[in-house]
Amino acid sequence: MCWKNVKLIWFRELRDQLRDRRTLFTVVVLPLLLYPFMGISLVQITQFFREHPTRIWIVGRNNLPSVSPLIQDGEIGEEFAGVNERQLTELILSEDGEQELQDLVSQFKKVSENGSAGELIDQFVQRQMATKQADLAVIIPKPIEQCSSTGEQPEEANMFVFVNSASDKSRIAYQRLELILQKWQRAITDEQLAQFNLSVESTNPIRLLQSDVAQKVERQAAAWSKTLPLLIMIWCLTGAFYPAVDLCAGEKERGTFETLLSSPANRAEIAIGKLLTVAAFSVSTALLNLLSMGFTTMFVLSRLSNVPAGGILATMGPPPFQSMVWLILAIIPIATLFSAISLAAAAFARSSKEGQYYLVPLIMGSMPLMLLPMLPAAKLDIGSSLIPITNLMLLLRGLIEGNYNEILPYTSLVLLVTVVCVYAAIRWVVHQFNSESVMFRASERFGVGAWLRHIFKDRGDMPALGHAMLCGVLILVAKFFVGFAVTMPQSWTEFTIQTVVVLVATVGVPALLMSIVLTRQPRLSLKINLCRPSFMAAGLLLAFCLHPAFSWLSKLVLYIYPPSANVDQMNQMMSGLFDNMPSFWLLLLIFAIVPAVIEELAYRGFILSGAQAVKSPLLAIAISSLFFGAAHAVFQQSIITFCVGMLLGFIAVRTASIFPCILFHATHNGLTTLSMKAQSLPNEHGFRWLFDISADGAIEYHVVPGIGLFVVGCLMLAWIYRETMSRLERDRLEKRRLRLRREMTVTSTT
Amino acid sequence: MIHVRDLTKVYKDLSEEQFIALNGISFDAMPGQVFGLLGPNGAGKTTALRILSTVLKPTAGEARINGVDVIETPDLVRRQIGFVSVNTSIYDRMTAWEMVSLFGQLHGMTDEYLQHRMDVLFTRFKMNNIRSVLGSKMSTGMRQKVSIVRALVHDPPVLIFDEATSGLDLLVAREVFSTIEELKDEGKCVIYSSHIMSEVVRLCDRVAIMHRGNIISQGTLRELADQYEIDDFEELFYQLIAANEENWDSLAEV
Repeated sequence: MCWKNVKLIWFRELRDQLRDRRTLFTVVVLPLLLYPFMGISLVQITQFFREHPTRIWIVGRNNLPSVSPLIQDGEIGEEFAGVNERQLTELILSEDGEQELQDLVSQFKKVSENGSAGELIDQFVQRQMATKQADLAVIIPKPIEQCSSTGEQPEEANMFVFVNSASDKSRIAYQRLELILQKWQRAITDEQLAQFNLSVESTNPIRLLQSDVAQKVERQAAAWSKTLPLLIMIWCLTGAFYPAVDLCAGEKERGTFETLLSSPANRAEIAIGKLLTVAAFSVSTALLNLLSMGFTTMFVLSRLSNVPAGGILATMGPPPFQSMVWLILAIIPIATLFSAISLAAAAFARSSKEGQYYLVPLIMGSMPLMLLPMLPAAKLDIGSSLIPITNLMLLLRGLIEGNYNEILPYTSLVLLVTVVCVYAAIRWVVHQFNSESVMFRASERFGVGAWLRHIFKDRGDMPALGHAMLCGVLILVAKFFVGFAVTMPQSWTEFTIQTVVVLVATVGVPALLMSIVLTRQPRLSLKINLCRPSFMAAGLLLAFCLHPAFSWLSKLVLYIYPPSANVDQMNQMMSGLFDNMPSFWLLLLIFAIVPAVIEELAYRGFILSGAQAVKSPLLAIAISSLFFGAAHAVFQQSIITFCVGMLLGFIAVRTASIFPCILFHATHNGLTTLSMKAQSLPNEHGFRWLFDISADGAIEYHVVPGIGLFVVGCLMLAWIYRETMSRLERDRLEKRRLRLRREMTVTSTT
Repeated sequence: MIHVRDLTKVYKDLSEEQFIALNGISFDAMPGQVFGLLGPNGAGKTTALRILSTVLKPTAGEARINGVDVIETPDLVRRQIGFVSVNTSIYDRMTAWEMVSLFGQLHGMTDEYLQHRMDVLFTRFKMNNIRSVLGSKMSTGMRQKVSIVRALVHDPPVLIFDEATSGLDLLVAREVFSTIEELKDEGKCVIYSSHIMSEVVRLCDRVAIMHRGNIISQGTLRELADQYEIDDFEELFYQLIAANEENWDSLAEV
């Protein structure tokens, strides 16, 4: 890597972008103008809202009690509302003699007998409210004084409030009236208590005094700690995306990319130069937004501090200075990460227009990670430290709130994960720039008809990568919908049938059908090849040897990501089923043998065969394992099954057969099922040297024999690798021979 | 010199369908010569030149520029060549001077030598009046001149022109022709692709006629005329392509 070239390209791209008025507007002008504009608008809107009084239509005013009169001289009584509230509450009073009152009262009496207000009444009142331009209607059908004078709770409603929840004005009117009615009701209660010679204080045996121990700065920090990290993320992403599209798709469109690619700078230098430019714009966007928003917030809050409507905002205060410092420090890794992701995605686009389409999936993809820290229970622990973006947001939140002791143990882990992600994203960018199929992607004319014809007519011996991906996605979708359709089984028979049918229908059928329809050699596609008996034995023994290691891995995953209450509940229900099982062999059949056969056919058979179209065997195994892991609904289980899938994928690739995998899978699942029933084993069983049984009935492997078995397992894997080396070599030679024959055929034809 | 043997390029689309853009072509181009790649649109000329300029990687075969392999050491190859294409546009938001200067710096030229070289080239191509003009403000002719100067700034021994006069008016096209002739006289190895016979007749010492990814005939213009007994090169070109097209159709039917 020649850093001089990187610098040259970086400065060129920076100058180029700074001369682009659109980029300058988005990155510099928009943040500087947007927040002041929004702030001024907010102040204006607040004042606009203050000048709108609420119109309340009151029917049956004379039915209100004469003591503590709610309405005095056509307005709300002074003791129930302040001057401001009275000004904002305009009453429309109906006269006694009005026909509408008589009708309404009579109808309400009928409805009241039935116990509910009918839709007809609602519609009638809504029409009347519209006629009178009222936001709220209050109807008092019969005198309240008669009911309340008995000193007992009225048997039925004696005041009806009609609110239109679809109207903001109506809801505001209801909120205002509710406060007034609370004061009024309190006054009537006090009056009645006085009549019965009871003290008012006797109704309030408890007096609460709330005290907020948080300092003002802490309150402000807490208020901003959730908002600012999210905003920073969004600014960094949007700040990176538009320059990334212009620097990749835009260059392709303008034809300047070829010029740069034929220069002495290599692809990695070009990619890094462009990445630095995008990151610079991402950082600038975030910084300018942060500063502009900070200043605007201070200005708006100073204006709103005297306005009641701005109360909530005013209590927030401006973002504390230390939070700004942490945010500025965090911008660099966040901007680099998003810049790399944006650049890699934009490199795929052929035009700026196409590039714009990738923004939404990018935001949708990263949004769950950004929103996860907004959950009230979200906190920085080992589990959340491993999730990119989420971990950085939680770290920032902790820093802004000043909870240094809580976040300190995880800081290094968060930084490590972030560095790894940034590195991986940069590697992806360089890979994209090195990939000819990405940089010189021809326009694809996709037609369903042509595609279907191609699928049947040009199907190969083995599935393509697309077929493998389609199969994996189909299984996931089928499992998702079937998961909603099935109910919790009530009996063992029901459970057995349901498990087998669901597994066959959602996993087995798609893989089998696709191998028959989309390939010429379904048997080979599913890796149904006989292999050496020694490999079969190795598959079986490996499951025994590696079970302690997977058991510890499972414990580690459950420690890092503790299961939720729902998962615990589900496990308890499953345990309940196990307790009532008719036969242990049936349990093994359902949990070990059937899944082993069906899942191996699908994941190590069809999906892995298709994924092997990519050059890297490791990538192929990872693809099939990702689908295998994702197909398990519980997150913790997905992580473990991914790891098991990687091992099974290795065995399948090396031996080119699913039979050792089926044996491994069935034995592994069988041992796991057995470990759930470990409490039924006698105390003096013959495996005390290997494991003990814990109080809750689970198997606890001893460390030394467990590690010993793990080492034996690794040696067996190394043996499989060595033994299969010659076969792979033969395959490579066979492929080369086929390629040469094809080239010779093409040459002789022409 | 340029040495190409059995150069093959196969593109794959989304449905894994293969398209053979180059089907094992071979040719040699010598210093002090203009080698012409002649063929209709889609013959594979641009693909061949993109491989020579290391923008694309070949599927099979060998290509060497001054003895340097385009696959193994593409970085060294790029220092040996100047690539001008109808597709190699110039940056809209850079001036002519900035653009040429950038590429000179990327080639590792010292500031003094770069300044001297740019002064010479800008004067030679009568471009001193557009030194500070942004690419977006230039005419097509000006842009192509800047593109040529960019390719010549590091004084490369091999120059690749891919349909370099496409879309240019007669005056600018003649300037390009003169430049190529001068470069040839300077001993440069020039490879020039075109689908216009008159350009090739004027410039090229040797030509290779391409069709559907294959070289169907190559040699000096005289050799080709003698071989096919047709003196009119445009007619010769047309008949060769038409005959090959017929063969292709009959093969496709089989």
